[in-house]
Amino acid sequence: MKRLFALFVCTVLLLSAAPTFALADGGILRVGTDAEPIGFDPHTISAVASARVMTQLYNQLVDVDGDLNVVPELAESWEQPDDTTYIFHLRGDVTFHNGRSMTAEDVKYSFERILDPNVGALGSSASYAGDIESIEIIDDLTVKFTLKQINAPFLASLSSWYCSIVAKEAVEENGDLLSADGGTGPFTLGEWIPDNMVSINKYDGYFIPDQPKVDGIEFYVMTDSSARLAALRTGSVDLIAADTSMLPLVAGDANINTLSYQSRNYAALCLNTTLPQFSDVRVRQAISLALNRQDIIDLAYNGEAEVSGFVPASLGHWAVDVTEHPLYQQDIEKAKALMSEAGYADGFEVTLIVGLLDSLRDIGAVAQQQLAEIGITVNVVNKENAEYVALWSAHDFEIMACQNGAGSDPSRGVAFFFKTGNSANIAGYSNARVDELCELGAGTTDVAQREEYYKEAIEIILDEEPNVVIASPREYFLSSAKLLGFEPSAAEPYSLATAYLAE
Amino acid sequence: MRDYILRRLLMLIPILLGISVCVFTIMQLVPGNVVNGILGIEQTPELRAIWEKKLGLDQPPLIQYFRWMGNVLRGDFGESFRTGAQVFPEIISRFTITAELALLSCLTSLIIAIPLGIVSALKRNRPVDKVVRVAALMGVSMPSFASATLIILFLSKAFGYFTPVKYVSLIQNPGTNLEIMILPALILGTTMAGSVMRMTRSSILEVMRQDFIKAVRAKGAPERITIFRHALKNGCIPIITLVGMQMGGLLGGTVVIEQIFSIPGLGQYVLTGISQRDYPVVQGCVLFIAFIYVIINLFVDIIYTYVDPRIQYA
Repeated sequence: MKRLFALFVCTVLLLSAAPTFALADGGILRVGTDAEPIGFDPHTISAVASARVMTQLYNQLVDVDGDLNVVPELAESWEQPDDTTYIFHLRGDVTFHNGRSMTAEDVKYSFERILDPNVGALGSSASYAGDIESIEIIDDLTVKFTLKQINAPFLASLSSWYCSIVAKEAVEENGDLLSADGGTGPFTLGEWIPDNMVSINKYDGYFIPDQPKVDGIEFYVMTDSSARLAALRTGSVDLIAADTSMLPLVAGDANINTLSYQSRNYAALCLNTTLPQFSDVRVRQAISLALNRQDIIDLAYNGEAEVSGFVPASLGHWAVDVTEHPLYQQDIEKAKALMSEAGYADGFEVTLIVGLLDSLRDIGAVAQQQLAEIGITVNVVNKENAEYVALWSAHDFEIMACQNGAGSDPSRGVAFFFKTGNSANIAGYSNARVDELCELGAGTTDVAQREEYYKEAIEIILDEEPNVVIASPREYFLSSAKLLGFEPSAAEPYSLATAYLAE
Repeated sequence: MRDYILRRLLMLIPILLGISVCVFTIMQLVPGNVVNGILGIEQTPELRAIWEKKLGLDQPPLIQYFRWMGNVLRGDFGESFRTGAQVFPEIISRFTITAELALLSCLTSLIIAIPLGIVSALKRNRPVDKVVRVAALMGVSMPSFASATLIILFLSKAFGYFTPVKYVSLIQNPGTNLEIMILPALILGTTMAGSVMRMTRSSILEVMRQDFIKAVRAKGAPERITIFRHALKNGCIPIITLVGMQMGGLLGGTVVIEQIFSIPGLGQYVLTGISQRDYPVVQGCVLFIAFIYVIINLFVDIIYTYVDPRIQYA
């Protein structure tokens, strides 16, 4: 028995001989996140958990501020000699994390990588860099982009992390950037212990003076929300991603601050308009009229969301207020009348797919009760994440509860989700006038003109309700009281370069 | 004995082949694939085609299977579809973590369960036996995720304590490593201890009724020797069997605890792999876990011969 015990202990010791990791100290900001990052290649990774880290490592030519204005980042200025030509003048003081200066050559290389069909970069689609015809280096700090056609949202789309500027040598050394760092951002990639933590370190050569403030950031993966909250309470982390159910638990706690912003996301019931019952606009309108959006918000978001259309208020001047829109007021009688007119006086049975987010599952449950009032029997089916996404991409559903991001330009919020044939137009919606307006909107750079086109398109879509939009949620963080300088917004949810820890 | 071990090891070949076919088929049948996850909302038919080609998913399943199996036979488990990292080194590094957790949990369970089981058997139907049995039942019934959450909340509220958030290995920093592991091991260990204790109690009860115990007592052996050298040793075969099975179960079954305590173990790796449809990761992990399971069973069988010399394999 003694020998067995000794064997036991020896095995424990031997098995634990894992590689060693360096420890950092002083001025480190620790963040508790809810999901494991997948990798850090800005050109091929869409996951939000990765973006939190990647956006600290990389820069883009331009940025979009809170008022949706395009502002300089790596390019200090730009000019547009004609509608399809953009000339960017780069900052001269930008260096990659290996110390080499960034030049026009790197901009050219980065976009060639994005457009390389072997890379499969997410920015290669027409929503981003897909319309680029040629890239010409004029001098070390000047680069000219020529587009195949007028693409009004092009400049704003360059602010996406999919259009990050990367160092060629970092890509060539590692094959890709999934676990490597070829950026110019305020932080450099440190160590990565998958399913536990990622650290990033301050880059001393960052081109914005006095940034970043902290020596480094450690992102800890804490999928369990109660563990995340306990870690914050005990000072093991300084900042956590929160959900609304945590808010009452920390109310009145002087050591914990609540930070939030109105997101550009919205939740909707997408109706498959290729099916007979939903091809009738009256049925779609009836569904919109049957919903009590405030009740849904109270139950699914603990009241922390705003009634919204698909271009939420956070999109500034592009937004269309729907709070007074007739189809956004609950009116059961009118809804029933529309159902009878459409030949569905007795209602019908339908399957509603939910998944991905708890809020969507809750929306499903409330919508099921509310739609029963106009005779629609809803069977809510909860799908596991990958299966949900598969059904989404195959447009294989009757009703699907989804959460979409409206982006920073109406070309995203309107055309991406509602133009005929677009892959994100999962409702299968098709309206010739909307298609025409989307093209007109993308085909001119005159903002006032664009606003007119898109507003008309938005009004048409709101009346036709292919996606019955419900609400735009607020996003929350909880931080320790000593974390200062962190101001999350829809434009910059993780603007950590300005954050610092007070002693 | 050597022939026996060799025979058992040879049996691994059909077992692993069978499992490889099963896991591959199941992964192919599960709806959704990794490309949907990679592209998210940005997917277009063109991008989907590029990625399916890049990952070899455009090939017929049979070709995918033989290509994967051929590489596995050459010792190459492939790369993760999502992270691009080599699967096998990742499995090994995570296995060491999960195995440490599993061994510590077993140790905790044995330390709690064996003495209590013996006491419970010797004091059969007395108050102490009843208390121990109720405690054991609670241990078996309480799901580990619930006790883990309660303990975390209690410690953070009452003592302002939270386990170290950054994982370090035992070699690098034994103190911190054990501090990270002790709570999860205690929680898993107490859950396991319930059934081990019940098994110990019934085995000891049965052995104590046998004639040879009377003989040991008749020759005047002290009670301590009677219980530990004779009763426990003869009664421990079912306990070893149970613990062996629990160990195997823990290798893939610590996932909930790993998630709650952010321990980067094998369970989390498989779970993430499954949810992302990362075929090489899931297939590699399942093959590896099956392999270890068989090895643990073999190990248990060999321990039998040590505990009970009458058992011989030829």
